[in-house]
Amino acid sequence: MNLNYLRTSACSGASGRNATGLVSRASRLSAAIGCAVFVAIGALPAQASQASGTLDPLSLPAPTAGTLVAITNATIMTASHGTIERGTILIRDGRIAEVGANVQVPPGARVIDGTGKFITPGIIDAHSHTAAEAINEGTQSVTSEVRIEDVLRQDGISLYRQLAGGTTTINILHGSANAIGGQNAVVKLRFGLPVDSLRFAGAPLGIKFALGENVRQTSRSNPSRYPRSRMGVEDLLRDAFTSAREYRARWKEYDGAKAVWDRAKRKSGPEPVPPRKDLELDALVEVLEGKRLVHWHSYRADEILMALGIAKEFGFRIATMQHALEGYKVADELAAAGTGASTFADFWGYKMEAWDAIPQNAALMAERGVLVTINSDSDERARRLYQEAAKTMRFGGASEESALRMITLNAALQLGIDKRVGSIDVGKDADLAIFNAHPFSPGARVEMTLIDGRVFFDRSTAPTLEWLIEQQKKKPRVTSEEGAR
Amino acid sequence: MKTHRMIAAALVCAAPVLGAQSLVIRNATVVPVTGPRIPNATIVVQNGRIAAIGPNLPISSDATVIEGSGLFVYPGLIDSGTRLGLTEVGGVPGPDDTRELGEFNPQDVVLTAVNPSSEHIAITRANGITSAITSATGGLVSGIAALIDLAGWTPNDMAAKARAGMVVNWPSAAPPRGFGGFGFGPPRSPAERQAEYVRQVRDIYRYFDDARAYAEVKARATANGATLPTSFRIDLKMEALTPVVRGEMPVIVEASNAQQIRDALTFADSAKVRIVIRGGTEAWQLADALAAKRVPVVIAPLTSVPGGDEPYDAVYANPGVLSKAGVLIAFESGSASSARDLPYHAGLAEAFGLSGDDALKAITINPAKIWGVDKDYGSIEAGKVANLIVTTGDPIDIRSLIKEVIVRGQRMPFNDRHTRLYEQYRARPKPKP
Repeated sequence: MNLNYLRTSACSGASGRNATGLVSRASRLSAAIGCAVFVAIGALPAQASQASGTLDPLSLPAPTAGTLVAITNATIMTASHGTIERGTILIRDGRIAEVGANVQVPPGARVIDGTGKFITPGIIDAHSHTAAEAINEGTQSVTSEVRIEDVLRQDGISLYRQLAGGTTTINILHGSANAIGGQNAVVKLRFGLPVDSLRFAGAPLGIKFALGENVRQTSRSNPSRYPRSRMGVEDLLRDAFTSAREYRARWKEYDGAKAVWDRAKRKSGPEPVPPRKDLELDALVEVLEGKRLVHWHSYRADEILMALGIAKEFGFRIATMQHALEGYKVADELAAAGTGASTFADFWGYKMEAWDAIPQNAALMAERGVLVTINSDSDERARRLYQEAAKTMRFGGASEESALRMITLNAALQLGIDKRVGSIDVGKDADLAIFNAHPFSPGARVEMTLIDGRVFFDRSTAPTLEWLIEQQKKKPRVTSEEGAR
Repeated sequence: MKTHRMIAAALVCAAPVLGAQSLVIRNATVVPVTGPRIPNATIVVQNGRIAAIGPNLPISSDATVIEGSGLFVYPGLIDSGTRLGLTEVGGVPGPDDTRELGEFNPQDVVLTAVNPSSEHIAITRANGITSAITSATGGLVSGIAALIDLAGWTPNDMAAKARAGMVVNWPSAAPPRGFGGFGFGPPRSPAERQAEYVRQVRDIYRYFDDARAYAEVKARATANGATLPTSFRIDLKMEALTPVVRGEMPVIVEASNAQQIRDALTFADSAKVRIVIRGGTEAWQLADALAAKRVPVVIAPLTSVPGGDEPYDAVYANPGVLSKAGVLIAFESGSASSARDLPYHAGLAEAFGLSGDDALKAITINPAKIWGVDKDYGSIEAGKVANLIVTTGDPIDIRSLIKEVIVRGQRMPFNDRHTRLYEQYRARPKPKP
């Protein structure tokens, strides 16, 4: 792989690594990690060095017009239209400009030799809790007003490690402590940039709902909240949406009256007074109106059916059931409702409501027409979702393309961002993972991860264990006694 | 009633029938692990052992024949650390036998608590794992781990080696991981943690000193066939440690960070006991010392995140570094419900520097050596126990399918909890709209 140009940029390669003096491993590591971010394709070395200070979102090194990158001679797993052998991806201004076996590399393009490499779309994790300062507001059963967006943080190393596993977009969800949780945030892993730059601009709004043992506080000896049972959860939901409907009706009534009042040349009576704004109900009204996607934590089939029933009763579509470990039992109902499922590959048995989980769940739901994704729900699993996807082939007989879609295109569809990401197609963001081998094979690792055509992870300049051991051999650690001499 | 009959039928199917009939796998590519692969080979199994391997072997007319063309035969995989048979559903206390109360329980025999009809056994076996160390945790010394084959009517039936090792949970002075570094209980300062660490390590040293003294006194008292004096009080804990201080049973030291491993090595020299490090996440820092002292390392699941100041691939690359340094390595799933993932930990290690051959050895012949059963287990050789798997490819490759699992010469059915639920709901008729 011809990546030498990367080493020439201001803070990549040797200069970043061979820190002078006896700096700690931690600081050497963080220095090198920090540099990796600014080795941006399209950003000139001079720009990169300027970028090493603080950045506000507006001074992001945006890809400049005319920036061209070509990844050549690679096996391209598009996720949308099969696999292209010895293909080329041409990136212009951070977007995929051309892809195929017969793409001409225009003069002036930077070339990444992809010989022997496999390229997939950047992996999308449909269920994450990374990079949030707080996960649960569980003191009440309805907290639709709280927002993950308000508590985003850079969360350094975890984002970096997920990038190193080819993950580029994540859906950060509120936890599952209560039935109606908070609003989610869809972000791109633009590690090293200020926290506002993480946001996936234009991603549809969403919210986390939850069911089951966490909501019912069954593991607590002193449950502090209603509801305690599945019956109570259904009641709570019906109550919340009934309130939302009434709230919406009050606003409609007001909007009508206000319009009449505004139009009237002669004002008879006082100006109509608006209802009191309720942030909790605002979010639920958005759900009722289809403007906010519901991602619904669930395990058992009975509670999935209950959720589908509530959605039908109040006239909205649930975007996804999250976990849905018993989704395979009610796959037809999910498919009929147009509700997707985002599940684990084979994680099971960790609590009673996960006892009927089977590793064939994802493939069986897909077979029945459900839009399925494999998610991490974990900073650990988010680093190797490509392996988790492969398990749907092993245990459920999914096809290779179907397995790949479960961590790319299907996740984009579930989150409503498929026009931008999720497959290697012309016009989409150049969010790509470059593997040394077939991503489902043993021995597969990510060599490079790009977001918007910029390199955010590059193993050839990353501080790896191998590199660290080499450094230690070259420059043995000075002990405190030696230092004192 | 119907349910009961179904369960009974399942149990009958799941249990091996010991007998003399022979089993033959033919025309398969055999990967013996300890030697080069043999194409188009036939394996003859008799009395639960491998009788012969080679091309064109005569097949007796009453033998069960498995057609292996296009398929591969590997030795059954060995997991060097699980909770199999000791726990069923997470978070449900009833079936949990993974930990005893108290600091020192060397006398507890894990095999006693193994539930042969645990759902996890058949599920794990279906992914090619045919033997496993199962062990408890809790306290500092948590008892005797067992090596079991994953089939059998009773715990004793299952035992491949009932007393495979003594588990010592090496204490740690490091802040607990997870839950934001707070762990359970009140937060403690580094000084408090260090003081507690020193106390616990001292307790372990003293305990093993006591065991050595006990063993010597008892040996002297019974020298030349003398009867043990009635004044001698039998101490079951010390009795349990006697084979350990005699070097007959290894100590499985659960140790992950570099300080733990370093201190465990010092302990092994001082107490003159044989140790196996299990966990070993930071063992790469001591690779040369471990190799020089010939201390094997069972590597904890690679599905953990490294410390904040470590390279992103530290956990993944650790096995390769150890193997290249000459350390005998094996893998563990550390689990019951996720035990079937064992080969995939080896696969992750392969991506970061462990050779494919060494990855396979670390779940076959290496654990057999570590647990002292390599005469009978860990490779495909005539005379060894017929724990075999027939696959469509390398078992480390997630995409490979396991077509046959043979334990002690018996073909195992694939009728575990997962396949039952799958078949049941796959056959569900479409609901009426």
